[in-house]
Amino acid sequence: MDSDKRFRELIDRSFTGEISERERQLIQAHIRDCDDCKHYIELTARTIRGLREFAFAAGLESHVRVRDILAHHTATMRQHNVRLKVRSAFVLTLSMSLVGSLIACWGARLLAVHTHFGIAQVQAGVLVFWLLPSVCAALSTLVAPGENRGIA
Amino acid sequence: MALSSTAEAKDARIARGLRESDLELLTSLVERCQHRLVRYLVYLTGRREYADDLAQETWIRVLQRGSSYNGRQRFDPWLFAIARNLAIDYLRQKGKAGQNASLANDRDAVLQLPSSGPSPFEAAARSEDAIRLANRLQVLSPLHREALLLRFQEDLSLHEIAKVVGAPVTTVSSRIYRGLAELRSAFEEK
Repeated sequence: MDSDKRFRELIDRSFTGEISERERQLIQAHIRDCDDCKHYIELTARTIRGLREFAFAAGLESHVRVRDILAHHTATMRQHNVRLKVRSAFVLTLSMSLVGSLIACWGARLLAVHTHFGIAQVQAGVLVFWLLPSVCAALSTLVAPGENRGIA
Repeated sequence: MALSSTAEAKDARIARGLRESDLELLTSLVERCQHRLVRYLVYLTGRREYADDLAQETWIRVLQRGSSYNGRQRFDPWLFAIARNLAIDYLRQKGKAGQNASLANDRDAVLQLPSSGPSPFEAAARSEDAIRLANRLQVLSPLHREALLLRFQEDLSLHEIAKVVGAPVTTVSSRIYRGLAELRSAFEEK
């Protein structure tokens, strides 16, 4: 009886693929003489076959609905990504513009000491030739057309 | 070996496609997995009417979190794990969890609550044996049903099932054996 119990545990494990080849051979040898365990294997196999005979078909309508929803979400995500890209590009360009202007202003002041230009003239030069063009470049990332405008 | 590398390449392609939110790839995945996903959700919740909505939510989650799939594991267990978490959250939101405070600490407990309404298994049975199993399936614990489905219909390994359900392999084995024992009795009775 104990032997049968042990073999049934082994048989259960054989259906989940957890036994070795040697254990499989042991089962084969055992069921040659044990009708109860043979019947147990047949019942288990029948149960597993029965489990595979249920069909929960998802209708075509369900496929189409999921496809439509995914298409909508993909489009929304793309738009969101483009907006994020544009904003990031704008912030990055604006920061570069301001930092660049400060560095240019500081450098030009140092140079102004050795030249005949005044500080006000240097600041005006940086404003006209550096800060304004770079701010315009930053703004252009926002208004450029197309999906890749954030990269402009 | 060749088969395994082909499967790995396929999963890597899926991972790349999901990172890029490739709609064509998603559509092909829906066609390949939708009916299996619905079946899994029916087994898990015991309700046919929840399955379609939950499957839909699962695909949206796959799209949103696609970048977290690395392609090193198979896609199917990853998909089932997402569906499982959504099903548990959905059942909780349905207000069932509110009836039992102990459910707050045990995510699986919400699945154990009895489901009312018609059995989805009777309608889906396609053979005499399946009809005999249908009644047993309806009263079987969803955790046991789930383990049986993942092992014998989805052909997932015990380790893959353990990852999907978030339980040790020994627990998964035990659920499969107990589930089989319950169902086997449908053929033992005269």
